Amino acid sequence: MTTKAQPLTPSQVAEFLRQVALTRDQEADCGACLENIAEFAEKKLSGAELGSALLSIEHHLSLCPECTEEYQALKRILQSNRQGE
Amino acid sequence: MKTQEFNWVEVLRSPNREEQAEAMNLLRAHLLKGLSIALGDRADVSEAHLEDFAQDGLLRILDKLDQFQGRSLFTTWAQSVALNSAFAELRRKRWGDVSLDALMEQGDHLAEASTFPDDSLGSQEEQSHIVSAMRKAIAQELTPKQRAAILAELGGMPFDQVCSLLGTNRTAGYKLLHDARRSLKRHLEEAGITGYDIQLAFTI
Repeated sequence: MTTKAQPLTPSQVAEFLRQVALTRDQEADCGACLENIAEFAEKKLSGAELGSALLSIEHHLSLCPECTEEYQALKRILQSNRQGE
Repeated sequence: MKTQEFNWVEVLRSPNREEQAEAMNLLRAHLLKGLSIALGDRADVSEAHLEDFAQDGLLRILDKLDQFQGRSLFTTWAQSVALNSAFAELRRKRWGDVSLDALMEQGDHLAEASTFPDDSLGSQEEQSHIVSAMRKAIAQELTPKQRAAILAELGGMPFDQVCSLLGTNRTAGYKLLHDARRSLKRHLEEAGITGYDIQLAFTI
């Protein structure tokens, strides 16, 4: 029995095209993102300038919904901690 | 004592068992507080889940202690590790069992118009031209594994699960997808379609 794939929704097609359009020859992967996300989150929150390594993390986040989900959660914790200080 | 005043790496490795246990308890409580803020309002996360995530996160942090490089606060790094561990578990639970055969079979359809319709995002000539060129690129450039991984990811399957089904790890899995996107982009550029053209045509 064959399993026919469901048609992609417009938002899935848009996401796929966006990812291809934004593709670079060199990209940070999820492992690099996890290694650097704490520093990235602190610098973004304080408005500090990002070096090239952290800019590559920002690019990775634009392509990876799972790392973005984790970054948003971390940001929420840091913001809450900051408000509680 | 404020959590930031600790030299965490030192006390978590302390030969003094009492000091080490105290640090672990303090870190576990800190992780639990953060996880509650980040995940506490989710319907699929209970108090017991949060406790488990904090404990699992703590174990993972102890395992990765050598990897902390001091470029952020230790507590921020620790929260990022605990969140990564918790989200991996939540994603795994949310997605049912899928076989490799089903995944590969679905991927075979990615280049077909029934799966990737010309008018997905609009019917203007330029838009249809780009989608049609993308389908051709998918058919010509990608391996069956790459097609399966792309379709599964677009369908929301957790990346860890996609990698596990394809018998690879997360780093190699990311490379598989990155190589696929690079091939598609190159193919489109050879056909005269740049990344900027795509963003412009679809306002993405």
